[in-house]
Amino acid sequence: MAVGQRLLLIVGLVAYPFAMAIYFSLSDYWVGSPGRFIGLQNFRDVLGNEIFRQTVQNSFVFAGIAVALKTVLGIWLAMLLFRPLRFKRLVRAAVLLPWVIPTALSTLAWGWMFDSLYSVVNWTAIHLGIVSPPGPNWLGMPAYAMTAVITVNVWRGLPFFAITVLAGLVSIPREYYEAAEVDGAGSWGGFRHVTLPLLKPVLAVVVLFSTIFTFSDFNIVQVLTRGGPVNTTHLFATLAYQVGLSGGNLGQGAAISLFLFPMLAAIVFVQLRYIRRE
Amino acid sequence: MQVGVRSRAEKIRSAAFGYANVVPFVFFALFPFYYMVITSLKNDAELYDLKSVPFLIQTGVITDHYRYLFGKTEFFTWMKNSLIISVVATSVSLVIAILAGYSLARLRFRGVSSFGTAVFITYLVPPTLLFLPLSQVVVWLGLSDTIWSLIVTYPTFLVPFSTWLLMGYFRTIPREVEECALVDGASRIQTLLRIVLPMALPGIVCCTLFGFTLTWNEFTYALTFVSQTANKTAVVGVTADLIRGDIYYWGSLMAGAVVASLPIVIVYVWFLDYYVSGLTAGAVKG
Amino acid sequence: MSAAITRRRFLKGSGIALASASAVALERPPAIAQKRELTLLTFNHFVPASDDELRRQGEAFAKQAGVTVRVDAIQAPQLFAKRAAQVASQSGHDLIVTTAADPFLYEQHLVDMGDLVDHLGGRYGGWYPFARETCLTASGWRAVPWFWVAFVGSYNEAQFKKAGLQPPKTWDDLLKAGKILKKQGNPVGIAISHCTDANITFWSVLWCNGGRVLETDGKTPAINSDKAAQVVEWYKELYRDAMEPEVLSWDNASNNRFLLSGKGSWIHNPISPYVAAVEKKLPIADEINHHNSPGGPGGIHSATGVNSLGIWKFSKNIALAKDFIKFLFLKENYNAFIAAGSAFNQPPVKQFGEHPIWASNPKYAMLPKEAEYVHEQGWPAKPNAAVQLIVVNFILPDIVAKAINGMPTKRALAWGEDQVKLAVQGKLETKGKS
Repeated sequence: MAVGQRLLLIVGLVAYPFAMAIYFSLSDYWVGSPGRFIGLQNFRDVLGNEIFRQTVQNSFVFAGIAVALKTVLGIWLAMLLFRPLRFKRLVRAAVLLPWVIPTALSTLAWGWMFDSLYSVVNWTAIHLGIVSPPGPNWLGMPAYAMTAVITVNVWRGLPFFAITVLAGLVSIPREYYEAAEVDGAGSWGGFRHVTLPLLKPVLAVVVLFSTIFTFSDFNIVQVLTRGGPVNTTHLFATLAYQVGLSGGNLGQGAAISLFLFPMLAAIVFVQLRYIRRE
Repeated sequence: MQVGVRSRAEKIRSAAFGYANVVPFVFFALFPFYYMVITSLKNDAELYDLKSVPFLIQTGVITDHYRYLFGKTEFFTWMKNSLIISVVATSVSLVIAILAGYSLARLRFRGVSSFGTAVFITYLVPPTLLFLPLSQVVVWLGLSDTIWSLIVTYPTFLVPFSTWLLMGYFRTIPREVEECALVDGASRIQTLLRIVLPMALPGIVCCTLFGFTLTWNEFTYALTFVSQTANKTAVVGVTADLIRGDIYYWGSLMAGAVVASLPIVIVYVWFLDYYVSGLTAGAVKG
Repeated sequence: MSAAITRRRFLKGSGIALASASAVALERPPAIAQKRELTLLTFNHFVPASDDELRRQGEAFAKQAGVTVRVDAIQAPQLFAKRAAQVASQSGHDLIVTTAADPFLYEQHLVDMGDLVDHLGGRYGGWYPFARETCLTASGWRAVPWFWVAFVGSYNEAQFKKAGLQPPKTWDDLLKAGKILKKQGNPVGIAISHCTDANITFWSVLWCNGGRVLETDGKTPAINSDKAAQVVEWYKELYRDAMEPEVLSWDNASNNRFLLSGKGSWIHNPISPYVAAVEKKLPIADEINHHNSPGGPGGIHSATGVNSLGIWKFSKNIALAKDFIKFLFLKENYNAFIAAGSAFNQPPVKQFGEHPIWASNPKYAMLPKEAEYVHEQGWPAKPNAAVQLIVVNFILPDIVAKAINGMPTKRALAWGEDQVKLAVQGKLETKGKS
């Protein structure tokens, strides 16, 4: 394949869609009518909307808590899986499952588990005497709804952390641990001084990915709450879809989904430099 | 003697500690799946009965939902499509990503870094925005409404993902190991193939698994680039046929989730077993 | 070989190795490629048999016209992305189902249907008023109304009898009945959340109270009114005394489950719970019945989504597609379509209203009457882009939810008015030309 053709393919599949996506956000493009360039007007417009400001707040709460939980629990789980365990395979299968089940379907199951009438979570809690009927209104109250979507995100994202970190642990040459053992480092010391530093490159990439995945999460909110109650669980992706595609205002939708783009791009840039320099 | 006893007690304690910690994770991970399985085997009257115990099947196990899924929908065609798309797109992306990831991790060219960053930054634009211009590209390529439209577009998010993930793993490999090989007169490519790849194998396996899953679960492109039933992927097909307005075919939907994930998990575990366990077995002495 | 094929071949040949090699390998045999293919994209019907009947008619038409016909059905909410992609790439199906604002949003890309609308209207006793409201844009008819689904009162007759109540004729009746029914342990349920049903019911209640969201011009906000305030107060009372907090979390399917579980006594919904209960042989089917959507001081009005058929301008089979629509509207075909859809598919032309299915089951008897009450969301304004944004952003149910959560009604309405203004602004800047 000639260089020119390869270049054409990259331009067609990557550069062109990317440039168009940026252009959408800078134009008054509607689904049915191509727009003209209007500069940053869309960004000003969305900032002027209370629903969008609420969405920014939601996104940071959602991503902040979910990524923190996934990082801590993921490393913890990876360390546990690294130990010799009986039923190792079953345990690994169990841990991997949430990532493998198609999200569009697994979130439906979670929706059913948080259903106002048939919630198995509430049923169990009520029968254990923890809460009084009818139990928490999971998807109808802002705090509960946010808890629910974060829970599902952690459930789904944890395997990614656990298994990638596990693979990182496995690639650390054994001698390093042995050296630490000889030095008499306890397990916490071993973790801090041997494991963590060596895992840094992997962790940095995994956290980076997870942050991006989490900020752009769509399915969970779309299936469970569609941004409700009263927009308290809307994320960038769900609001962008709602305004840009369902509503037809593609320009504003693009501005919403690209709102964090400069910030994320800066983070990516810094973090990637750091990883390469390390 | 005494030392032996203590270390045995310690061993037991440590094992107990391990299990006590693993069990909650397993429960959290597995319960929704368990719930899907029993929902797929329960009859609708029980599902909608407020008095029933939600996590049991009390009125008998039925296979009707599976029969509906297999008989009344094109489920197996969709699974086949998903499989072809995922396998081809993941393999192609992996090869590109290994080369790119290695270059980014080790080579010191001026352009490499900025190219890598650029690739990653395109990844920040969500598919729900990219699908519109991409759908034009798909038409220009003459691929609309074929599974090839997905095979060609999936690498656009797989390659950045895999490249950067792999780069992380390549960086965990101490540079000295490679330098020895290079000093011994091996070329870069030889070093990559003989030294680096085997050492990074767990990472590569990992990357394959997650890349595969990303394509397996992809929704936006699969929905918009393909229309005919015969070319749909599993996720798109199942939701299109089993969610009808405000009527959900819960049993069959959950059956679809189970069938679309169980075989994959088994393959994954086999993979992980083969590489990770082999390496871990001796890595930590109880 | 047509020019289009040459271009495709050329592009394929022009280099993208992986793509082209595989695409050529997959290409259909030329013999079949010669036969014209007419394609229709619609949403999957609530009743699978209705899709089957549509495909059967497609095949019958194909045989008659010497072409092939393909009907693709996907989930309704996914049609948004699909339409946008087809317009962006100027390729896709010939016919596409349109709802709500679609004929307006895609005005420039849809074929004029005026001739067909006149033909069908003249032949089948004229169109109901809502047809004009939904498909007639400033530049003419951009779609042909196809069928619509009525939102009616679905109630548990046994529970109403037990409480000694008649089905409500007005929304105030519903409030009174609901208070009694909740005490009996059978609350009523109207979604106040981010879902289609929540929107539909709010419009209906607002209209019946004489309120509106936008003036007829489609750009002057009218939501912050005393009539709307009464509606919000009504909702608050209904929420407190006749419903349970779960309505704040509902999706489109929740009220179906609420009724089918035997807990709920009344919901505002199409007849889908009943049809599903019959199909799944749930014993509760016997207890469910329907009545016409309630009214109020402003008359009886009920919101609905009218499904229409549009033809893309980029289609290469425009005449054929119009013939297919005519074929679907042949009396025997349309009647079969109504029958297959278990009474869901209600006709937009008056003559088909006299179908035996409405009389076949007393629980369907009230359905034809609904045709006199329904409007597309947005009425009395056209369902333009501003209305679409108000609807998809769930502004109306959120006004109610804010009031229920403690915000004073006036402030909640002022918030709603702000949002309506923003929606109109966005619309004016971009769509001034139409």
